[in-house]
Amino acid sequence: MADRRYETLVLLHPDLGEPGAKELAERVKKLIEDQGATVAQVQEWGLRELAYLIGKQRRAFYVLFEYRSTSKALLEIERNLKLMDRVLRFVSVRQAENAPPAPQRPAARRPEREEPEFEGAAEFEGLNEEGS
Amino acid sequence: MPERDRERGERRGKGEGRGFRRRGMGRRKVCRFCADRSLLIDYKDSRVLGTFLSERGKIIPSRITGNCARHQRQLTLAIKRARTVALLPFTAAYP
Repeated sequence: MADRRYETLVLLHPDLGEPGAKELAERVKKLIEDQGATVAQVQEWGLRELAYLIGKQRRAFYVLFEYRSTSKALLEIERNLKLMDRVLRFVSVRQAENAPPAPQRPAARRPEREEPEFEGAAEFEGLNEEGS
Repeated sequence: MPERDRERGERRGKGEGRGFRRRGMGRRKVCRFCADRSLLIDYKDSRVLGTFLSERGKIIPSRITGNCARHQRQLTLAIKRARTVALLPFTAAYP
């Protein structure tokens, strides 16, 4: 079966702490490899602020896994991730074969809210709030 | 790119009134992702995606941002992905 490039971004519970998160990330990596996938890269973004609360938490450890696997293996990986209660959430995306590997990303805080820089953006907002 | 810098800094004061249809005048909007090929649409890049959200966290329509249809589709998908992993809000942040 053809294997494809995937990446999975996993959110780990903040109560794990830095070492605990690292350990769990290692476990997830093992889980992926146990499914016959080859891990190309693991990126730890560290503790980041969430845009909204998940499981009553305001922040989470983000870990990104890049790997090649079959679609069947991916399903199995996802099933196992769902069973881990320290995993708040994850998203798996198939990557194009020629896509560059994800660049290293600093454990950035949420960027300052930028003003919408499009003219008429405010107008669009205004139109919508009218009914409420 | 000086051309782009100029465009960004510019802010329009007129034509803000409701029901006022701009016709013929005004700067033509260009899709940012077409203009700058190196700018990739990635759900992990909340900084870029965030500029296409309104203050309420809604996706700004392409008729305002000037994105081409193709990139708007990709952008929408990326924003939705980013939302599931809490990189972007579904709605305005609560206090």
